[in-house]
Amino acid sequence: MTEPLLDIRNLCVDFGPASKPLRVAHNISFTVGAGETVGLVGESGSGKSMTALSVLRLVPEAARLSGEILYGGRDLLALPKRDMPEVRGKEIGMVFQEPMSSLNPVMTIGAQIEEAILLHERMPAAERRKRVIDLLRLVGMPDPEARVNAYPGQFSGGMRQRVMAAIAMACNPRLLIADEPTTALDVTIQAQVLAMMLDIRDRLNSAILLITHDLGVVAEVCERIVVMYAGHVVEDADVHTLFSRPRHPYTQGLLQSVPTLTDTRKRLYQIPGSVPPAGTITQGCPFRARCPKRLDRCAVEMPPMVTQGPSHRAACWATAMEAVA
Amino acid sequence: MAKYVLYRLGDAIPTLFLVLTLVFIAMRILPGDPALAALGPMADPVQLALFRERMGLNEPLPLQYIYFLWDAIRLDFGRSFISDVPVADLIARNLPHTIYLTIVSVLMGLCLGIPFGVFAATRRNRPPDNALRIYSLIGYSIPDFYLAAILLIVFSLQLGWFPINGAGTGFWDGLHHILLPAMTLAMLKSAFMGRLTRTSVLEVLGRDYVRTARAKGAREGRVIYRHGLRNAMLPLSTGIGISILATLSGSVAVELVFNRPGIGRLLIDAISERDYPVIQAGVMMFAFFVILVNLVMDVVYVFVDPRIRMKS
Repeated sequence: MTEPLLDIRNLCVDFGPASKPLRVAHNISFTVGAGETVGLVGESGSGKSMTALSVLRLVPEAARLSGEILYGGRDLLALPKRDMPEVRGKEIGMVFQEPMSSLNPVMTIGAQIEEAILLHERMPAAERRKRVIDLLRLVGMPDPEARVNAYPGQFSGGMRQRVMAAIAMACNPRLLIADEPTTALDVTIQAQVLAMMLDIRDRLNSAILLITHDLGVVAEVCERIVVMYAGHVVEDADVHTLFSRPRHPYTQGLLQSVPTLTDTRKRLYQIPGSVPPAGTITQGCPFRARCPKRLDRCAVEMPPMVTQGPSHRAACWATAMEAVA
Repeated sequence: MAKYVLYRLGDAIPTLFLVLTLVFIAMRILPGDPALAALGPMADPVQLALFRERMGLNEPLPLQYIYFLWDAIRLDFGRSFISDVPVADLIARNLPHTIYLTIVSVLMGLCLGIPFGVFAATRRNRPPDNALRIYSLIGYSIPDFYLAAILLIVFSLQLGWFPINGAGTGFWDGLHHILLPAMTLAMLKSAFMGRLTRTSVLEVLGRDYVRTARAKGAREGRVIYRHGLRNAMLPLSTGIGISILATLSGSVAVELVFNRPGIGRLLIDAISERDYPVIQAGVMMFAFFVILVNLVMDVVYVFVDPRIRMKS
């Protein structure tokens, strides 16, 4: 297998004092191959956004990162802080969850897209201006020549998310991280924005790391899915395997709680209980309190990620037993 | 844009009119007879009557009001009771000094305060931030006449770097004379503006679009000045407006300590001598400045924040 584009190894994110750290991400490990679309799925508070922000080291100042984040073989966590701007925007672009507040309200959208180019590439102003228009066209902005001088306040959420995508794609990054890009949008607009992102991926051949809690979205656009629960990666599989043969009880619960048209159940399935707050589980599997398959061992030791098949890993004592048996 | 300015200007006219009316009423209900105040308690009754006749004080109030408005529109404020010089001349002689002091001290205050505030905001709860906190506390608490006296003693009397009093003649001499009084005011202003900048910048740096700027690959300096400060300018420009007004009307102590001519001094003298025409003109002039500065600030907002432009 060729070297993956992004290889996260044992990433931990800690807050609070070093003597009594509050760990919100535990030994996160997964990869994104060149041109691959990977979904990072989990409930709110599962640490998926923190993981995504860690890649660009945009986590809050109080957060401490450890482990390795290899991008093209280089460890981003070991880079001097002053070298990070070279990576951000140029190598890795990022689209954020909140299109309403993620754009600077006092700069025209054209100036904001232009800035992304300006920071990494030298070219004549006229050419740069043309590139901005091209980018706006790429993300499906109607009448880009006129809209380029408009302010974010003059756009709807969906249009702003297109502008965000244009900013993220301005320097043709090889990896695009999209943190819940469609969550704040209407359903019809969600589909448009997703279609736009896939279109961009196909044209520029970038890899995408899509962070979402929406299983419908990942089923539609991703090739591989990484499931997170309470700061742990619990399952990692290609999309067909994950939907047909989920191995972790949490993933199984998630899939059961998705309504379908052919559903005959009276009531939608729900996983009992709620996600434990970060720091409350210090030992064993964080899902055990809600797990229908829990064993005695689950309370003592965190299950490791066990290979369940080709490109399929899960962290569960119960299914690890089944796999062996 | 022009429409917005005209609209704001239209707003200012009723305000100005209201102020004039209030001044008129205030001057009429003040205890004491203006004629007596002007000529003194020893004045001859005939002279008093003559004075009342000349000043139109015997006319019915509505007529007095109309005369008053007409005079105000023509900028005819009468003559000083004390020096018998036209009030307009007195103001024309003193106002430029106050405006000059205001401009220089506000500029100096901004040049000190904004970098202080940004520096502290980006080093929150670390020594530079605490240093600004102490500086601001001193700046807020120290009386202006006291600071003025200290600076005067140290830099003029002991070190001899600056002239002791007066306004000087010509540009360079004038600048030499204004530096110390302006510095006094600027130190007080920078305490206020530094604090304000720190708060606004801190607030803005926590916003999502600042994170977007970082995600684009912008370096810290660019993030702070391009994205942070520009957005922090809105609350800051309000502070600057307040500061300009405060200096126009509140630099009396500094003018007194440095023995500079100025509008604050003119007014204080007029009040202690019951020089009604001068007081009246001064009050109207300050009201006019308040309206003018607010108008200018409203227009500045529009330039700083496109969202206001879109709504209007």
